[in-house]
Amino acid sequence: MSIVNKSIRELNALFLQKELKPSELYDEIFEVTSNSEAVIHAHLKLFENENREALQNADKRFEDGNSLGLLDGIPLSIKDNINLKGSNTTCSSKMLENYVSPYDATVISNLKSQGPLFTGKTNLDEFAMGSSTENSAFGKTQNPWNPDCVPGGSSGGTAASVSVRSSIAGLGSDTGGSIRQPGAFCGVVGYKPTYGTVSRYGLIAFASSLDQIGPITRYVDDARILFEGIRGYDSKDATSIDHEFIELPSDNNATVGVIKELMEEGVSEDSKNEVNKVVDILKNKGYKVKEISLPMIKLAISIYYLIAPAECSANLARFDGVRYGLRVDGNTSYEMMENTRAEGFGPEVKRRILLGTYALSAGYYDAYYGKALQARKKMILEFKEAYESVDYLISPTTPTAAFKAGEKTSNPLEMYMSDLCTIPANLAGLPAISIPTGLSKEGMPLGVQVMSKALTDHSLLDFSELLENELAFHDLPFAWGS
Amino acid sequence: MSDDFNIQNIAKLASINLSEEEQSKLSNDLSVILEHVQALSDLSLDEVGEIFIHPLEKELLLDEDEVRVSLTHDEALQNAPEKNEGKFVVPPSLE
Repeated sequence: MSIVNKSIRELNALFLQKELKPSELYDEIFEVTSNSEAVIHAHLKLFENENREALQNADKRFEDGNSLGLLDGIPLSIKDNINLKGSNTTCSSKMLENYVSPYDATVISNLKSQGPLFTGKTNLDEFAMGSSTENSAFGKTQNPWNPDCVPGGSSGGTAASVSVRSSIAGLGSDTGGSIRQPGAFCGVVGYKPTYGTVSRYGLIAFASSLDQIGPITRYVDDARILFEGIRGYDSKDATSIDHEFIELPSDNNATVGVIKELMEEGVSEDSKNEVNKVVDILKNKGYKVKEISLPMIKLAISIYYLIAPAECSANLARFDGVRYGLRVDGNTSYEMMENTRAEGFGPEVKRRILLGTYALSAGYYDAYYGKALQARKKMILEFKEAYESVDYLISPTTPTAAFKAGEKTSNPLEMYMSDLCTIPANLAGLPAISIPTGLSKEGMPLGVQVMSKALTDHSLLDFSELLENELAFHDLPFAWGS
Repeated sequence: MSDDFNIQNIAKLASINLSEEEQSKLSNDLSVILEHVQALSDLSLDEVGEIFIHPLEKELLLDEDEVRVSLTHDEALQNAPEKNEGKFVVPPSLE
């Protein structure tokens, strides 16, 4: 097995045994990247040479027996909507093309004390709005399993990077599935932690009540390690929670619910088959499995496409050509703002800002935004009731495997439907993970999503790791390093 | 979608200049999306209780109002499109 395909724990063991140096791993990673990047375009910026001093320091720490833990010397990629001091943070938008971060996001400062190396900033749908990474102002990312297909989105760059092994693991952000959906499309693990457990400070905001930073990795254990590296209460984020985690059984004393509404019309046979495969495994292992109905899930996309655009229209008001980002001249301040926003934002961002502006405007607030908040609450109550009888809920991560580039770009609603299975966890703030389970008839990866109640993240990861071991899905995309 | 939906008014509220082509395309897109979300209008939602913005129903916490180390003046201005003597410069606000 090539070094780049090893897990974080295996790599750490090699570092500790002095069989591998962080600098050797880093060079191996960039050997892969030099082959893959021209086709896949996972990154907007690569730090091939910027880390030489940091690598020497990492090598020395292991030589001297002073390592900083499991993440020390591990190459990580970072979605380009997370601030990394001194580097551009573009959000794949012309609006922020030349923006240089003056500070680190809390997840970055948490990681920096643990010694990982940042390999690059990864491509995304502009301001994380999209499901295919086709909405980037700086070119599309291709799926490593088939470059004609999209990698999913909005964290398509990180998912593709981890899938090809241009990085060992990476960070994405998930507002309606933007970690889990590209995880499923690229055959890697995508994990959205419980809302509030990971600070959003320094993540450029899209929809603040839904956004959550989380890991994209090859293995569930890598997601656990990265989650431990980034989580924790942060007074700089008003929604951060000073949390105590709750334990659930992860062995066969656990009860698992299959979400009825996500096994019906609108979900492909391929995706349903993956869930059925998991159900068979669980039953064979002695787990209790039952069907659970959550009728509000059918309305999740309607709720989401009022709340997320409403929050986005408020958050993106800050891009006005005054303090940072693009400025396009005008005769007055107001003209300058209108021209700047016309030039700086792409079509999907404009669509969502306008939708949100309308939903919040006088006379329509109660009918749209107010109603969506109430419906969201009703969905949260349904989840609470469901978790009284089951420990984990499973569903497909996506209604289909990765679709062809260009296939859904002209029909926004059809694109939005690709987040059907992932949006509910964001609306309810729940932890949710996609693990790769198998391939579609066309040979593209598929994933199954596992959700559990808030603050049961560790049990969710334990359960998912058991499932990962049973599934033994070891297929890889084309080996770009060889 | 309401009959008095006016893309120009919405664009004005959102401070985005739209070309005629964009107005037509976005009007059409928004009408499809707003029709889809109409599914919520028939829901009975009187019994849901108090609404929280935080999905875990936590109160949003406010920081104490105290001076702390933050961005320096130069760091705060480093990305400004136009600046002068430590201030952001903007075009006139009145025509």
